[in-house]
Amino acid sequence: MMLARVADSLYWIGRYVERAEHISRLSDVMLTATLDQNDAAVAVAQLALASIGGPDVEAAPYDAVHSLVFERENLGSVVTSLARARENARQVRDQITTETWERLNMLYLRVTDPRAEEAFTNGSSVFLHEIIADLHLFKGAADATMSHGEGWRFQLLGVHLERAQLIARLLEVCFGDRAGEKTLSDHRTQISVLRMACAMEPYLRLYTAEIQPQRMLEFLLFDEDFPRSIRFSTNRIEEHLTSLARRDQYYEGAEPDRLAARLSARLKFADMDETLGAGAILGTVVSECSRIHHAIYETFVAYPLEERLPA
Amino acid sequence: MKAVGSSAGVAQTQDIPASLFPSAAFYSPGRSYDEMFAADGSVRAHYVALQNRMSSLSPTELANRQRTLEQSFLLQGITFTVYGAEATTERIIPTDLFPRIIPAAEWAKIEAGLTQRLKALNLFLADIYGDQKILADGLVPRELILDAPSYRREMRGLYVPHNTYVNVSGADLIRDEAGEFAVLEDNLRVPSGVSYMLANRDAAKRTFPGTYRTANVRPVERYPDLLLATLKSLVADWRPNPQVVVMTPGVYNSAYYEHAYLARLMGTPLVEGRDLLVHDNMVYMRTTVGLRRIDVIYRRVDDDFIDPLTFRRDSGLGAAGLFNAYRAGNVAIANAPGTGVADDKAVYAYTPEIIRYYLSEEPILPIIETFLCREPSQLSHVLANLHKFVVKAVGASGGYGMLVGPHATVAERAEFAERIKADPDNYIAQPTIQLSTAPCLVDGRIEPRHVDLRPFVLAGQRIVVTPGALTRVALKRGSLVVNSSQGGGSKDTWVLADEDPVP
Repeated sequence: MMLARVADSLYWIGRYVERAEHISRLSDVMLTATLDQNDAAVAVAQLALASIGGPDVEAAPYDAVHSLVFERENLGSVVTSLARARENARQVRDQITTETWERLNMLYLRVTDPRAEEAFTNGSSVFLHEIIADLHLFKGAADATMSHGEGWRFQLLGVHLERAQLIARLLEVCFGDRAGEKTLSDHRTQISVLRMACAMEPYLRLYTAEIQPQRMLEFLLFDEDFPRSIRFSTNRIEEHLTSLARRDQYYEGAEPDRLAARLSARLKFADMDETLGAGAILGTVVSECSRIHHAIYETFVAYPLEERLPA
Repeated sequence: MKAVGSSAGVAQTQDIPASLFPSAAFYSPGRSYDEMFAADGSVRAHYVALQNRMSSLSPTELANRQRTLEQSFLLQGITFTVYGAEATTERIIPTDLFPRIIPAAEWAKIEAGLTQRLKALNLFLADIYGDQKILADGLVPRELILDAPSYRREMRGLYVPHNTYVNVSGADLIRDEAGEFAVLEDNLRVPSGVSYMLANRDAAKRTFPGTYRTANVRPVERYPDLLLATLKSLVADWRPNPQVVVMTPGVYNSAYYEHAYLARLMGTPLVEGRDLLVHDNMVYMRTTVGLRRIDVIYRRVDDDFIDPLTFRRDSGLGAAGLFNAYRAGNVAIANAPGTGVADDKAVYAYTPEIIRYYLSEEPILPIIETFLCREPSQLSHVLANLHKFVVKAVGASGGYGMLVGPHATVAERAEFAERIKADPDNYIAQPTIQLSTAPCLVDGRIEPRHVDLRPFVLAGQRIVVTPGALTRVALKRGSLVVNSSQGGGSKDTWVLADEDPVP
């Protein structure tokens, strides 16, 4: 049992920290790829920006990344996401452990420091790496110090819903119906895409360095153990929602956990053939995640009061 | 902090390492009572251990410790937000690393005095919201109480658990030139600062661990569980596992950090008005699994804003119907609505009489001599000596509507005199008191700064004075204003245990 508003804030903390991490990683991969002046570099930048509906695909990569990191008006930027995560954390300061709070607060103070842009200019890769490392520390502190109860589950629901959607969108631009046949023909582009999903090393261990687009897709969609595959996330979403639903004495609809179970079954029992035209299944992931998001809100946060008033 | 970093500052201190160190020659508290040095320049006995430690640290080490302290406050989020044109930034409440030390004997008197005061003031509140004997006996003017905006007639005749209207208070004490403690304000509404007391203590233990251990300081860490016990004691016995909540106006309130801090340390939900719902005179909060009944609300929202149906209609911070649930006895609210009338600046002048009336005892702690402009004889005395007095408007706080006679020009005094004459009921006058001073680290040097003392008192079935306090510091040299909104800071306060350890 926890306040509905608190559950909502914890959920959004999860979403925002995941978003900040993904955008930081995407930015880093883009900047690293564009150190080489060739077509593959341009393709990588376009894929990355398209996958997040990014600012101006035509803009110079450095400017685009600068905007992705620092632009306050850009609602998806790293600084905006971290500021919102931290604002939500402040509103539920009594519900998260000091260790968890301090990691997030320190990161927030660092990226909003007036000297942050200078640090970025002096070494953008180091700067982005530190953000990602700090976010890992935050998640680690949450895992190691918070009770793995309701609040923690709401936070992880946010993380995995956000992650599943972000990875699905990245895969859509690479493998979806509108992706060109040659999108992933270049080895450098393939590596960059794997890096964007933080999947480089786990992929190599499984399939070795003979990278094939088809295997990349299978790995990022269906692998059960890799924490950034869509199936991994949907399994976690199902798990957390099942556990949350069981605590609920009033609630009969079972809407969010039903949706989550259906989505993870869809991935579990998918035909490999489906990866040939992956657009459909990726579209399903994005839209189902969005439905689960609304169902969580309507079940746990903004439920109609009439049904819950004591007789 | 500037001087520490500059090469000139470092060179100077290396030549004369002891120059940072307070000796009477470098450190002149003026005519105020100093917490550390006696008038002849010697160090007071209870400060000797700290003084030894202070003089063994170089200016650089002290500056480092100060920086570490500030960093830890920033990290913990003990900050307030400064909204600028370009960007919003977070500032910490300035905190000084040297503790202020109070010996056991002095504390014993403060403890007894505060206990006596709160007992009497709770009896007074029960009386004026009940039989009004003190008004019938003519000890306190009837219109002074009944016409005060902080008097809530809605509270007349209501049941209040243990008859304790004030459960949580934090009086402001000051020390005059002679070194005597006196009560300046009672703060019976929603006093804040207790989280700073606890955070400062946490920091002081890390800054001066050895000195802390040898000094035998009394612990303050039990405040949160004593507060929880006090709150739970307000519930009817037949309610098992009462649900206690802390109610905050929200994240934009300047004391939000404290609200979250107390909720966290008590393990209770931190609710806002929008989380609450009143149905059939019961108060519920919206949880993930439906509505959950609330038994006790420790509210950090002013009377005016707790219930738009009963008090201010434009309040978005409260819960509609909350007061009716309270009236029905289905929820306890701490502090009870309407306690503000007992810490009114004019009622303050009557507090010694109030103590004698209800307890038949002499007040242990004095108050500051207060002249009521509503009394014609006192009014003429005030007007004739305006250059000596601090004149305050009864209804105002935070330093507004105030005249500091000695610092005002002739024209200002004349203009203020007209205002007093136009509405004498609204003004009181007090002599200007030099607060005591304590050593503080300011720009790398140790200098005297004026301080006050805010101890925290809990009252449920019994009254508990936490053996510690928030010492507020006026950071500007010579300034007597300690409010954090006016550039005040704070420091830890060490209350020493008695020489003979209690078995």
